[in-house]
Amino acid sequence: MTGIYVHIPFCERKCNYCAFISFSSAENTRENYIDMLDSEIKSRADGRKINTIYFGGGTPSILSSSQIEKVSNVIKQNFDLSTLEEWTIEANPNSISEEFLKTCKKLGINRISIGVQSLSDTNLKKIGRLHTKNEAIEKIKLAKQYFENISVDLIVGLEGETGEVLCDYAKTLLSLGIKHISCYLLEVYKNTKIFEMIEKKEFAPLDDDAQIDAFEKLSDFLQKNGMIRYEISNFAFPGFESKHNIGYWTREEYFGFGISAHSFLGGERIENAKTLSDYKNGSKKVEKLSDKEILEEIVMLGLRCNQGANINSLKKLGYDISKNEYFSQYIKQNILKTENNKIFLNERFYDVSNTIISNLLPN
Amino acid sequence: MKDLKKIRNFCIIAHIDHGKSTLADRLIEMTGTVSKRDMQEQILDSMELEREKGITIKLAPTRLVYEYENKEYILNLIDTPGHVDFTYEVSRSLVACEGALLLVDASQGVEAQTLANTYLALDNNLETVPVINKIDLPSARVEEVKEEIEEVIGLEAQSCPCISAKEGTNIDQVLKAIIEKIPAPTGDESAPLKCLIFDSHYDNFKGAICLVRVFDGTVKAGDQILMMQTQKIFEVTEVGIFVPNTKQVESLSAGDVGYIAASIKTISDVKVGDTITDATNPIKTPLPGYKEVQPVVFCGIFPVDGAKYGELKDALEKLKLNDASLHFSPENSSALGYGFRCGFLGLLHLEIITERLEREFDLDIITTAPSVSYNVYKTNGECLEISNPSNLPPQVEISKIEEPIVKVNIFTPPEYVGTIMELCQDKRGIYKDLQYIDKRRVELKYTLPLGEIIYDFFDSLKSRTRGYASFDYELSGFEQAELVKVDILLNGEKCDALSMIVHKDKAYNRGRDLAERLKKIIPRQLFEVPIQACIGSKIIARETISAMRKDVLAKCYGGDVTRKRKLLEKQKAGKKRMRKFGSVEIPSEAFMSILKLDEDDQ
Repeated sequence: MTGIYVHIPFCERKCNYCAFISFSSAENTRENYIDMLDSEIKSRADGRKINTIYFGGGTPSILSSSQIEKVSNVIKQNFDLSTLEEWTIEANPNSISEEFLKTCKKLGINRISIGVQSLSDTNLKKIGRLHTKNEAIEKIKLAKQYFENISVDLIVGLEGETGEVLCDYAKTLLSLGIKHISCYLLEVYKNTKIFEMIEKKEFAPLDDDAQIDAFEKLSDFLQKNGMIRYEISNFAFPGFESKHNIGYWTREEYFGFGISAHSFLGGERIENAKTLSDYKNGSKKVEKLSDKEILEEIVMLGLRCNQGANINSLKKLGYDISKNEYFSQYIKQNILKTENNKIFLNERFYDVSNTIISNLLPN
Repeated sequence: MKDLKKIRNFCIIAHIDHGKSTLADRLIEMTGTVSKRDMQEQILDSMELEREKGITIKLAPTRLVYEYENKEYILNLIDTPGHVDFTYEVSRSLVACEGALLLVDASQGVEAQTLANTYLALDNNLETVPVINKIDLPSARVEEVKEEIEEVIGLEAQSCPCISAKEGTNIDQVLKAIIEKIPAPTGDESAPLKCLIFDSHYDNFKGAICLVRVFDGTVKAGDQILMMQTQKIFEVTEVGIFVPNTKQVESLSAGDVGYIAASIKTISDVKVGDTITDATNPIKTPLPGYKEVQPVVFCGIFPVDGAKYGELKDALEKLKLNDASLHFSPENSSALGYGFRCGFLGLLHLEIITERLEREFDLDIITTAPSVSYNVYKTNGECLEISNPSNLPPQVEISKIEEPIVKVNIFTPPEYVGTIMELCQDKRGIYKDLQYIDKRRVELKYTLPLGEIIYDFFDSLKSRTRGYASFDYELSGFEQAELVKVDILLNGEKCDALSMIVHKDKAYNRGRDLAERLKKIIPRQLFEVPIQACIGSKIIARETISAMRKDVLAKCYGGDVTRKRKLLEKQKAGKKRMRKFGSVEIPSEAFMSILKLDEDDQ
C-alpha cells in the first residue's frame, strides 16, 4: 500500500483559527507552485503502484481546472494508478462549481471532503469562512450529483455550539447523504486571529469541558445513526472510512508532495521545506526512525483508531507492552482491551488519549 | 622557634546582613593576602549558594599576615555563618579562637542574632571586641548604637572601631584592635600533639580533609595520627594553611589554624569536634569537643526517580562530612518509596541542604513537609520520639503527647509590637516579657511551640514588620499539648507522606485547607479522585478532583506523525516529576504543600 498526499497551500483568505501554512496569493504564484509540484513529483516518483491519493490544503478547490489536471496528469504519468482505490480532494463550499466537480470526476477523483465547519452563519463569519449555511447545503447537494462519497469537516467548540446544536447540524448533513464526518476540536494557537478575538472578548469558544460534552453528544448521535468512530476525529458509515487516512494510522508508506508536506518512505519520515524558496531548492528534513521511535509510533497510531496496536509487532522490536506499569491497570479499568493479539483503546477514552498513550510508550 | 605572641586566632560574629563577609573581604585586601586581580566579593563564601543568598553557611578560615609596629603578625580569621540555624557552626569556630569581633550595623543596632552570638562568645571565654559598621550610611546612629552595645550587651564600646567595610574606612583600626585586644594563643609546640577538628570537607583526590586548630605539639607529613573518638590511625600526607585557598606547608604547630590530609577514605572516620593526637605518643585526655547537636526540624527526602536511592545516600553522606548537624536515616513511604528521614537545625538549613542536593549532586528530589520531634507517651507506659507523623500510634494507644517549645526573642521597632503579638498568639505563643531598649527598639519575649514556628513564622514576621523585626530562638523543653494526626486519603487510600500532626483546635482548618490545596495541585486524572482529610476514621473535609476531559491531539495535518510523537514523548517526560500513588498521580510539589498552607491566608 502506498498513498500520495499533495499539499495546495492557497486559500481565498486565511481562516481566523488557522495556524497553518497557507497563502492567499496571486495567480502567477499558484502557477509557479504547480510547476514546482510537477518537478518534485517527477524527481521523486518511482512508478510504483498507488492505492490512495489525497489533495489537501489549504484549499485545493481554489485551483483552476487546468491546474488540477496538470498535477493529476503528472501523477498519472509517473505512478501506476491501476490499483487506485480512493482519490480525495478537499474543497470549500464557496469554491465548489459545476466545472470543478466535472473536472474532478473526469480525472478519476472519487471522494470529496468539504470544509463546512459550522452551520451557523454568525460563527462562520466569526471564524473567517466565506460561505453561509445555505451555500454549504446547496454545494453539498450539487456535489452529491457527481460523487457518492462525500465527507464534511465540522469544528467542535465554537461559540454556543453545544451538543444539541451539533446534533442538529449532523441531522441536516446526514439527510443530505454525506458518508463521512471529520470532527475537530477547536484548537486556539497564539498567533491566530481567533486568539486575538478571544482576548478582546469578541469570540467566546466553549471551554474544554463543554467542548468534550458537545463532542460526546455528537459522537453518540452519529454512532446511533450507524456511523463508526474509526478514529479520534473521524466518523463514517461502514465501508466509507478514509483509506488514505487509515494508511497513516497503520504506518503504510506515502509520498507527500508540496510545501511542508510529509512523506513516510523506507522507514524515514521526511518533511518538505516550509518556505517557498526552500521548497524550490528541494530542501527536506529526513528522520530515520530508531526502533524505539517505531515502537512509539505503533502504540500512538494504533491506539488512536480502531486498528489497534499489534502486540507481536511491539514484541519483535523488544517491547513487551504487557509489562508496562499502566497496562494491567488500564485493562482492569476497561480503558484498554486486547483482541487477536492487538490492543485497542476504548472509544470512550479517545478524548483523554494523550495521557493514556504517553503512559504506554516504552521507557 | 615560632613566637606565639605574634599569632591571633579570631572570628567575626554578627547578625545577618551586618556586613561580616564584606569586612572579611577588606581585611584580606588590606593585608594583601589575595592579589587585587583574584579578589572578588565575599571571597570566603565559596559556595554558589552562599554568594547567591548573600549569606555565609560554612566556616571558611584564612591566614592574614599584617605588619604592625614593625612586627609581623599572623592573624587567622575564621568566617562564620550569621543565621540562627547555624548557631552550632558558629560555636564550633569559636572554640578554635581566642577572640571575636562583634560587628554591629550602625543603623540597625543590636539585633537578635547579635545578642545570641555574643552569649556564645562569652560562653567560650572569648575576648569580644565590638566594631560598628556601615558608618557611611545616612541613617547611621553611631553614638546610640554604642550605648545600645553597652546597655544591652554590656561590652565597653566607647573606644571601639567605627568603620565602613564597604568603603574601606578605618579598617586599620580593626587590625589594631585585633592585635592589641585579642590574646595570643598559648600552647607548647614540643608537647604531644593536641588539635581540634573544627570542620571537615571531602576532596576527591586527598580524601577527607580535617580543618584543625593546633593547641599543642607539631604535625607534619609522615606523622602517624590518632583520632581519639573513632580510635582510627592515619599517616599524614599533607598539612597546610588557608590563604584563603589551601597552601601546603612543612608543619603546623601550637597556635596554628590549618588543615591535615591523611588519605582518609571513609567519611565517618572524621568527626568534627574530635581531637587528633600523635599515635605514637598520644595525650591522655581529649579536648572537650562539641556537644552533639540535635536536629529540631525533620522531613523526608526521596529521589524523584526511585532508582537514584543509592546516589541520594552517597550525596547525603558527603554533605554530612561538611555538616555534622545533618542527620539522616532510611525511611520507606508507601507513597514515595525508599528515601531518608532527615534532621536539620532549622528551616533555612533544610532549604540549603535540599538545594545543595539538587545543584551540587544534580539530584531530583521530593521533600515532604517539615515536622518536629514529639515525645509520645503510650498507655502501656512506653515513650516514643516521633518525628514522622505517619509513625504516630493510633489515638487510643496514646496517653499524652509533648511538643518541643522554644524561647523566642524578637527585636522590633515599637510600631510592630501589636501585629507581632497577634502573630504569636495565633501561633499558640505565651507572652513572657516586653522591654524598651530605647525609643526605637523593643525586645519581646515569648514561648512558642516549635511546630508552629516551622510553618511560616519567619515569613509572616517578615511581612508583618516589613523586614524590620529580627528574631532568634532556643529550645527550652517539651510541653504537653492536645495534638492529633490529620491524614489525607486519596481515592480512599491513606497517603502517608501527607500526614501531619497539628493542634486539635487547628485540625479542621488545616485539614480543609490542605484538601483544597491538593485539589489545586493534583491534575485531573482519568477518573474522579476524592480527597479526604480525616482524624482517625472521622472524615473532616472532602474535595473531589473531577475526571480529566480533554487531553487529545485531534488532528493529524497531512500525515505529520513526528510532531505528534514528539508531543507525546514530551508528555511522558513530564511524568517523571509525578509520583504514582495507587492509580493517582501526584506532582512532587504536592508533598511540600502542607508547608505553604498558611501563605494563602495572608
